[in-house]
Amino acid sequence: MSGSAVHGGDEINAIVLDPGSYYTRIGYAGDDFPKITTPSFFAIGPDPPKKGKRTRIFGEAIGVPRSNYEVKPIIKDSLIVDWDAAIEQYKYYFEDVLKINYKEQPILIVEPVWATTEYRQKVVEEFFANFDFPALYLAKSPTCISFQQGRANCLVVDIGHDSVSITPVIDGMSLLRNTTKTHYAGAFLNAQIQDMLNKKYPNLDLCAKYLVRDRTPTKYPEEAKYTQRQLPDNITDSFYEYQQLALWHEIKETMLEVPEKKLASDRETYKDETHKRSFELPLGQLIELGIERFELADSLFDPKSYPLRDQDKFPPTNGEVSIKTMYDDYRPVKRTKRTESSQSSPPPEEEEAVTIRGLSQLVAHTLTSVDIDLRASMAHNIIISGGTSLITQLTERIQADLSNTNPGLKVRLHAVGSSAERSSQSWIGGSVLSSLGTFHQMWVTKEEYQQAGAEKILNQRFR
Amino acid sequence: MSANDILDVLNVQRDSLDLPAKKKQKVLNDVAAVHRQTGLSRELYSLLGPNTPPANLSNATSSGTKSKFNLKPSPWTRQSFTAQSGDQKGAEFFHWVKGSKELIEQEPEKPYIFEKFNVRLDIPELPDEATFDTYMSELLQDEEDARVKEEERKKVAEESTKSNSTEPKTETATGEKTDTQNEEKTETGTKEEKRSTHENKRSAPDELKNVEQSIPPRHNWTYEETVHLFELCNAFELKWPIIFDRFKYPGLREEDLKDQFYRVSAKIYQSQPNASHALIESLKSFSRVKEIERKQYLEKLLKRTPAEIAEEESLVIEARRFELAAKKMLVERSQLLTLLDSPQVTQSTQQYQSSQGLANLYNNLMIIDKHQKKRQLQQQLRLASSSEPLPPPIPSAASSSYKRDRTFQTQLQQYLSNVLRQSQSVNGREPNAIQQLLMKRLTVKEEEAYGLHYHANERLTPGVMLRSTQRLAGTQQRQSVLRSVNTLLQELDIPTGGGTTWRPVMPTRKTMAKYDELIRSVVVLLDVKRARDKLESEIKLIKSQRGIE
Ligand SMILES: Nc1ncnc2c1ncn2[C@@H]1O[C@H](COP(=O)(O)OP(=O)(O)O)[C@@H](O)[C@H]1O
Repeated sequence: MSGSAVHGGDEINAIVLDPGSYYTRIGYAGDDFPKITTPSFFAIGPDPPKKGKRTRIFGEAIGVPRSNYEVKPIIKDSLIVDWDAAIEQYKYYFEDVLKINYKEQPILIVEPVWATTEYRQKVVEEFFANFDFPALYLAKSPTCISFQQGRANCLVVDIGHDSVSITPVIDGMSLLRNTTKTHYAGAFLNAQIQDMLNKKYPNLDLCAKYLVRDRTPTKYPEEAKYTQRQLPDNITDSFYEYQQLALWHEIKETMLEVPEKKLASDRETYKDETHKRSFELPLGQLIELGIERFELADSLFDPKSYPLRDQDKFPPTNGEVSIKTMYDDYRPVKRTKRTESSQSSPPPEEEEAVTIRGLSQLVAHTLTSVDIDLRASMAHNIIISGGTSLITQLTERIQADLSNTNPGLKVRLHAVGSSAERSSQSWIGGSVLSSLGTFHQMWVTKEEYQQAGAEKILNQRFR
Repeated sequence: MSANDILDVLNVQRDSLDLPAKKKQKVLNDVAAVHRQTGLSRELYSLLGPNTPPANLSNATSSGTKSKFNLKPSPWTRQSFTAQSGDQKGAEFFHWVKGSKELIEQEPEKPYIFEKFNVRLDIPELPDEATFDTYMSELLQDEEDARVKEEERKKVAEESTKSNSTEPKTETATGEKTDTQNEEKTETGTKEEKRSTHENKRSAPDELKNVEQSIPPRHNWTYEETVHLFELCNAFELKWPIIFDRFKYPGLREEDLKDQFYRVSAKIYQSQPNASHALIESLKSFSRVKEIERKQYLEKLLKRTPAEIAEEESLVIEARRFELAAKKMLVERSQLLTLLDSPQVTQSTQQYQSSQGLANLYNNLMIIDKHQKKRQLQQQLRLASSSEPLPPPIPSAASSSYKRDRTFQTQLQQYLSNVLRQSQSVNGREPNAIQQLLMKRLTVKEEEAYGLHYHANERLTPGVMLRSTQRLAGTQQRQSVLRSVNTLLQELDIPTGGGTTWRPVMPTRKTMAKYDELIRSVVVLLDVKRARDKLESEIKLIKSQRGIE
């Protein structure tokens, strides 16, 4: 007993759930890694002939081609959009895979900073209504990341699939007002890759792996040599798109590299032969990418210079979020007031004219919005997290950009080396948090929630 | 468990030797196998030994594990507990606790062990709205009083400087104002802030305007806002950045929140009979205006451009350099002073009159000199300990107008003549011939005639030395080089002292010097020749490769 008091841990095997926009992670508190990492998507069958529910399929099984099965996302922007599917997915994993007894442990749910009060209320109520957990807790994802790193004061830069978000964390609590968020993240890169390939190789059939049974490698302008697989009819478009996600992911993982500085200033060096890499498309064709590899990665830092064909999907954003809390009606006034008063003389790029902020700009902007007393420690503890941050040279570029724009600050970035840990960082942090002995007073039971009321619990307990 | 069991499990055929019980049957099998062998002779085959893979189990470990198994495992029990959650009992969770079920059940129920880490801050209770209102108006009154007092003080100061007559009415006018409505009061409050800013900034008139504009007046706090503030302070344990982050009313700064919290808390404590005075004082010491200004200055500090930072740094370096130069000068001066006080000689100079005596004198002087140096060094050290960065001692050649001109006296010469003159004056005796000679300023010619030579930079061993045994500097070469030098000298018919001694037949100083020069140039010549030979052969080689020749 005394031993556990020293390291502060007290295992109660709580369940930790991190619904991300790309993967949902579920596991036991105290573990190093989630037991389950599953796509935040589901496949749904056609209306059954007789009365009854449409079947939903989760996990790896989504990838099996079936006729008339649509693939849909459960989560967008780290928020649950399809509640029926979400509940069914969690039920499937809790009951059929992990076979947990709800009564025995509480559940910790990782939520994004920008969750609205109504959304958070819905999460709490849905979980109490659908599952028998004795208690639950909503933990903010930057808070979890700060716990994973063991840094109570830090600036968390989370570059995920749907969004890039930057949140200052003080004493393990996320500052909501200073949080900024853009969508220049993984999905944006996917669109960039798609655009680039369509432009560079207009006649190329990108296809998807599931359509191909056999293939012989060829070099691009040559015809692809492959045999098609026998497939059921009526494969839906959404299934095809879902399959293509894997292709974009592979290109991101293997090909992209962030240039040292803004690419426009230094294009020639990257046109060099030595920067060329070849990539095998699903049909077996090899294509060669040179400067494109850098352009794609650079688009995260300078989205303005790389307009997408489909502009509407990613409208320009400068990352300022008005996070809706209980009191959001006051917020707009507050915003304008603050830009007048606290930033007495904002640097030129911070003027209202800024409509698009790239990654480094966004970090720098968030940094300047933090109270001056905290800024030095923030700059010294910048945590880079999320799957998209794994692109080669990404942290180095942020470091260089920040040191240039903030000569007076000592900038230090911290990024976990292991790629698996980097993308599961918020889950791991949740696991750390919910196995702390001192944390167990924080769980909220259904009774307490009903007695104290949503406002008090959501704002003062789930901090 | 034995090796055989393992082999059994793994389905490995055992060798016959290991199994005496089944020997007969196995032997038969083996014989059959041997017969089948054609390539190997039977003897060689049997030499191969048993073919069973080794599967050794050490008995020690197996018995060790056994004894461990015999030990009763210490019991752990899955026990339920509840952690206090908020104001009420929390949910029931389960964790594992060391100890048997019975033992734990006997124990009296304890509070959850981590509960002691739950900190509760002692934050004063906000009173009801009526009391709050009186507090606020009192606070305003206090401020007003302070303002009036300040104004008076200022006026007195003004009066003493200017001899103008005062306007007695203004004071009463400001006094009346105190009773007016809230809004006006905050306005006066603003004035007060502005004025105090003014005072702080009087030295920097450029920035004055800027600062004055950017500090907004104190917020007019309502009861609701204050209640919300106190609630947050309780919920977030006075972590101000977070309280500020979650504060729901717009348009305020962190400093506004702190200000309100501190002054209201101070009021609350003041109304309590047994509150600590120090606490109230510390609460009152918070100044909103100062805080805002401090942050603005920090902000400005951060906004420096790299060029400005670099300039600042270079200025700092420059300043340090000045400091160092000043220190260096001090050190130099003290060195000069120590040089001036020369050793006193009290003995007779008789003993120094032979050449032996002179050498002794020289040695003694060297020792004294060394002591002096040591003293200087100590002095420097003392200086160094008083001020850390120690400038390197200046080389004497560079610092003074010392010249290596023959017409001037060398240092040593100066020294000698100085010493001699002193000893003479002390003893009051006529200097002998050598002394006189040394005291005189000699021309180059004279020096040569007397055979006097000042070894300025050479290292000499003390005592008498014969030039014929002196080693020449030029002979410090590799043995093989020396050998070829030797043959060359023989070819040129230059006489050597013979053997390895390497000296001219008549080792006068001049011949020695010439000889040394000669040997050096011979060595250079040999080097050049070797290099030329090498290049020539290379050229030949390349030419032959290219087929030119
Ligand atoms: N090694 C990698 N290189 C580049 N992108 C990656 C890599 N690994 C994962 N990603 C991308 O990261 C995103 C998923 O990141 P994640 O942090 O899991 O998102 P979220 O937190 O929104 O669920 C996806 O767009 C995925 O393609």
